[in-house]
Amino acid sequence: MKRFQQCWMSWLGFVVLSGQVVLADDKLTPDQLTFFESKIRPVLSRECYSCHSAQVGQIKGGLWLDTADGSRTGGDSGPAIVPGNLDESLLWNAINHIDYSMPPRKKLSDEVLADFRTWIEMGAPDPRSQSEASVQSTISAADIEQGREFWSFQKPHAQTVPVSDSTWPMTDIDQFVLEKLASHDLRPAPDAEPAILLRRLCFDLVGLPPTPEQLKRFETDWQLDSQAALEKVVDELLAQPQFGERWGRHWLDVARFAESTGKELNLTFPHAWRYRDYVIDAFNSDKPYSQFLQEQIAGDLLPVKSDQQWASNLVATGFLALGPKTLTEKNPRQFELDLIDEQIDVTTRVMLGVSVACARCHDHKFDPIPQTDYYALAGIFRSMSTHFGTFETQQNRRATNLVVSPVADLGPLDKPISKQQLDDLRADLETKRAELRTAYQERRMQQTNPANAKGKPGAGIAQVGLLSTAIGMLEAKINSYDENGKPLTYCMAVQATAPVNARLLERGEFNQPAQEVERGFPQVLCEQPISISKKSTGRLEFARWVGSAENPLTARMMANRVWLHLFGNGIVRTPEDFGTTGTAPSHPELLDHLAIELMENNWSIKGLIRSLVLSRTYRTSSRFDQASFEKDPENNFLWRIEPKRLEAEVLRDSMLAISGKLDTDRPRGSLVAQAGQAIVRDGILVSAVATGEAKMNEPPRRFRAQNGGPMSGDNSLRPTIQSLDEPTNYRSVYLPIVRDNVPRSLDVFDFAESTMVIGQRETSNTPDQGLYFLNNKFVIEQADVMAKRLLDQSTNVNEQLEQAFVLAYGRPATSSELRAANSFYRSFRPTSSTSSTGAAKSGNALRGGRDQGLEKLSAVCQAIMASAEFRFLN
Amino acid sequence: MNTNGYRVIPNRRQMLQTISSGFGFLAFSSLATLAAADDQESSRNPLAPKAPHFPAKAKRVIFLCMRGGPSHLDTFDYKPELAKHDGKSGKFRGTVMKSPWEFQQNKKSGLWISELLPKIGAMSEELCLLRGMHTDQPVHPRAMTQLHTGNAQFVRPSLGAWTLYGLGSENASMPGFISISPAPGTAQNYGSAFLPAVYQGTTLGGSSRRAGAGQAAARFRGPQSDGQVPDIRNPRYDSKQQRQQLDFIQRLNGEKLKRDVDQPGVEGVIESYELAFRMQTAMPELMDVSNESQKTLDLYGIGNGPADSFGKQCLLARRFAESGVRFIEIEHGNWDTHNNMSNQLPNLCEQIDQPIAGLLTDLQRRDMLKDTLVVWAGEFGRTPFGQNGDGRDHNNKGFTTWMAGGGVKGGFSYGATDELGGEAVEGKCHIHDWHATMLHLLGLDHTQLTYRYAGRDFRLTDVAGNVLTDIVA
Repeated sequence: MKRFQQCWMSWLGFVVLSGQVVLADDKLTPDQLTFFESKIRPVLSRECYSCHSAQVGQIKGGLWLDTADGSRTGGDSGPAIVPGNLDESLLWNAINHIDYSMPPRKKLSDEVLADFRTWIEMGAPDPRSQSEASVQSTISAADIEQGREFWSFQKPHAQTVPVSDSTWPMTDIDQFVLEKLASHDLRPAPDAEPAILLRRLCFDLVGLPPTPEQLKRFETDWQLDSQAALEKVVDELLAQPQFGERWGRHWLDVARFAESTGKELNLTFPHAWRYRDYVIDAFNSDKPYSQFLQEQIAGDLLPVKSDQQWASNLVATGFLALGPKTLTEKNPRQFELDLIDEQIDVTTRVMLGVSVACARCHDHKFDPIPQTDYYALAGIFRSMSTHFGTFETQQNRRATNLVVSPVADLGPLDKPISKQQLDDLRADLETKRAELRTAYQERRMQQTNPANAKGKPGAGIAQVGLLSTAIGMLEAKINSYDENGKPLTYCMAVQATAPVNARLLERGEFNQPAQEVERGFPQVLCEQPISISKKSTGRLEFARWVGSAENPLTARMMANRVWLHLFGNGIVRTPEDFGTTGTAPSHPELLDHLAIELMENNWSIKGLIRSLVLSRTYRTSSRFDQASFEKDPENNFLWRIEPKRLEAEVLRDSMLAISGKLDTDRPRGSLVAQAGQAIVRDGILVSAVATGEAKMNEPPRRFRAQNGGPMSGDNSLRPTIQSLDEPTNYRSVYLPIVRDNVPRSLDVFDFAESTMVIGQRETSNTPDQGLYFLNNKFVIEQADVMAKRLLDQSTNVNEQLEQAFVLAYGRPATSSELRAANSFYRSFRPTSSTSSTGAAKSGNALRGGRDQGLEKLSAVCQAIMASAEFRFLN
Repeated sequence: MNTNGYRVIPNRRQMLQTISSGFGFLAFSSLATLAAADDQESSRNPLAPKAPHFPAKAKRVIFLCMRGGPSHLDTFDYKPELAKHDGKSGKFRGTVMKSPWEFQQNKKSGLWISELLPKIGAMSEELCLLRGMHTDQPVHPRAMTQLHTGNAQFVRPSLGAWTLYGLGSENASMPGFISISPAPGTAQNYGSAFLPAVYQGTTLGGSSRRAGAGQAAARFRGPQSDGQVPDIRNPRYDSKQQRQQLDFIQRLNGEKLKRDVDQPGVEGVIESYELAFRMQTAMPELMDVSNESQKTLDLYGIGNGPADSFGKQCLLARRFAESGVRFIEIEHGNWDTHNNMSNQLPNLCEQIDQPIAGLLTDLQRRDMLKDTLVVWAGEFGRTPFGQNGDGRDHNNKGFTTWMAGGGVKGGFSYGATDELGGEAVEGKCHIHDWHATMLHLLGLDHTQLTYRYAGRDFRLTDVAGNVLTDIVA
């Protein structure tokens, strides 16, 4: 109930106090003790424990009354007991049957009620404080000291570059690689052909195929001066906005980016796209990686020069807010602990490559990370509030407010509404609330006396569900405007709260608190102990330490990740585990060399990528060699470039690129933003009211009728439906990423699971992928459009076919490929009686001019897109 | 059979390359449908049925995978001592918690099974309980990986992939290994690792999760419905036209394979296209259950009840098994009952009880249970001590799985945990032993089923594994 009046955070930076643990007072007088034991405890035990005790029964409503701590923390609705304050004590409210009725269907005697009044008024003295266990770690200071000997827990060492008399190496990187190859009696592969190299560069750097013009230019330049040609094309690609879209997506994979909560109750995050754009922009502007990390952990606390920078920093902290959420969790404390756990897990694994979250329940089993280290970090993360949004429903008790951006950023369709419209919405809300109260009463009637209740059994319950969802959505809508009806700009973010420590929880159980642990960082990663001032939450310090050369892992982690995306495998093949359970680096010296280069070059990611792709190693062919394979089957030492299966986004974008349909402009927002606060169901978003976020470049067609636009002036709660399958031509990174509802074109090719940290995608090979290329409507449409493009360019069939290969493969076709294409083209009879209806349905581009040539060409184009060459990168 | 990877692969590769020299996949696929088991044939078509090492008890497997670690103490491992020690601090860290549910002894089999699973309990004459299970991994993803591949550390082929590699498939138009509703991000558990990609599991429902937690596979209404398997029909070309287009695609692929010499990925593409092509006819037919009687639907608990989703998946599994699919896995979850066990566990049990009893009955009626190995297992069990007042923690030291049909003793219990159910003490069965036993029932010697990769012969059971000969009927 309390959250009905949502207090929206002002940009002035409110401080929201999270529920703090109030420890039971140890010093009870004998009288107080006697009173509690004789008058209070028996009643609680008899009347309440069966539903509100973790030890005896359940914890309905998240409330457990069998400890002083639990009673004061309270459940979903708030603290059950506020010592000395009857009005604030919900237990008092409930036993008097005011808003709540407890025990259900029974009122306690006046005498008992009087006892409770006395007890609460005297300060609710309660001896049931839990014995404060002190959990001793089995990991000693000496263990930690010894743990620092492990390679990855030591800062990168400056390396002497090996020298060889071979003419092969062109850069320091090559020297390191050659040395390892030679020591394993291996030799590097010959250089790749220029066309293959260009294709590799285009896909690796911007995720799009080279155009025929690009290829021509590159080959001409290459003849003159290969090195200059390479440098030129690399610099061009790095400067394209498509670079950030490609490399930003790699980051979104590890940041488990998505635009909904996932899990049983899947609600949208309509503002998550701002984080997505922030990441893309950061890669495009080559933001120093250290700063990039700091902003994501503590953007709300970093000093800023402008409101713009502040707004951007707030959006960056969305990193901590957009994880999957179990909104249906009944226990608020459990929810808070799980939230913090997810934040610790993702932060340490993504940024440091160690899994600190393993120490939630017990000391880390493999790395020297005691359980106390986990709770030291938990204190830091506890001293903040996380604003992920969602709206309240009967099932969702965990909704939070969002943070208003200091800079308004409204889309062209974020239109203000009139004061009248706003008032109407408020009036509607009041009506709905009144209806809900009636529905509650009816439900109570049905429960207490089913025989006398009006209507069908269960109708009251269903009505309560519908109304509370409608109210939640309506509130969300009203809150998306300021007092004058002007749309507000929100972001998902975190905000600092008063600094608190966390208490260690035995076995990680919420009701087993042990000693309090001072806020701090994982000890094994700190050469010098780091102390955090009592007044500081420690998060800013943590962010600065993570994004610095002061810890041994950050630079290595990222250097390895960049390497992985370019060479197919990491130097450390477990990119998110640099601990003792991870694999050892194949080239430890090279990894340190790269990490130091990254740090010394102002943490420039573009700089690192540039030096890697300009190495001789990157230039080598992917050609197979039996003798080398037998010596090094995993290609640990890079005797060739590892062939890569292209990712889902790259395949979709490439089809659009070669058909000529690719829209390279960034759409504003996302389809999810357009739908606003909504429930996700089987590939559609159901919302009562759209929030007024901008329409995408291509507004939905099929569902426009139901949608009614963002603000049609219609205040009824008629649900609007937004399909997630809207056909769009913009880049795949901008497709809606809704948990458990990933678009087919991404899902079929191993898209990163958005509830997990994915450092390296899987590359499966399934008949489902075959079905996709053979039968999918989007694929067939692209083939049609591509065929049309080829027909427009030339009337000569041979030229059309040749051009199709150049577009798709980034190289001229071989003579046997051309022969095969020609023979297929000549013999294929596209139109048959059975296919004419199908063609009319799916082939928009073919409508009208039913040209055999066009249809034949489309079949050729589809086949080329379906072929393995299109899908693999050599 | 030919177990030398070095001999098989070049032949297969040459075969795949011949496409571009005009041999044509039409010829290949017609060859593939000839279920010949001779050496030459199996080297050509890696999915052709192969003879086992010795006469097999089981021809196929239905693996009911219970994700999350089901509590053996509240389902299949009856521990009267637990109740006696309820509330006491045991030798484990924590307070012993008895099972909140009663166990019932089946009159015929004599097995004690929890009241939560009355229908499976009634079928216990068919069950062979393995009560001495243990595994190395105490956390979910790693334990799940070990359950499927034997190894949590390295990427290794899954049990289903090994089975398919060992025996081939009886149905050339369907994947030989189907995984229904696997959890997201677990491709390794049905992957083929270094085995040729053709042996990896094909997922249904899990990868396309539009219908929520893996229920897409359960959305089957008939072949007309587009909702069942995405992109299963071509909107434009008839089968002959598409074959012609596919021959062209395969020629391009053959060209690439020739150029690249060794490219397992390309080989996988070529093979998966052929399977995809054939699946277009076979899959909709198999997923159309409109010809199943109401009685059969009821048998599986299909309807509006809690068993509906899993029931449909079990019915599909039977239909796939009948059609010759070698290995079918259904994943069901989430059994990770750290808290709220008193509500969760009855719900979970209700979801599977009728469907599994129905599946066993149906297989029996069709005389298929004798050579279909039905396996029920989670990645580990749970602790005798309570957690959060109403839950149990992970326990990899002792748990229960069971098998039925496929040549195992029915109404039989093998192995045991200690008096509280915490640790396996008798008839201990490690995952390697469990794998070895399953392969044995399939007529495969786990020490002989090897694949040469990078100069070493690999096997599912690494260098371990003992067949539990006592449970073989």
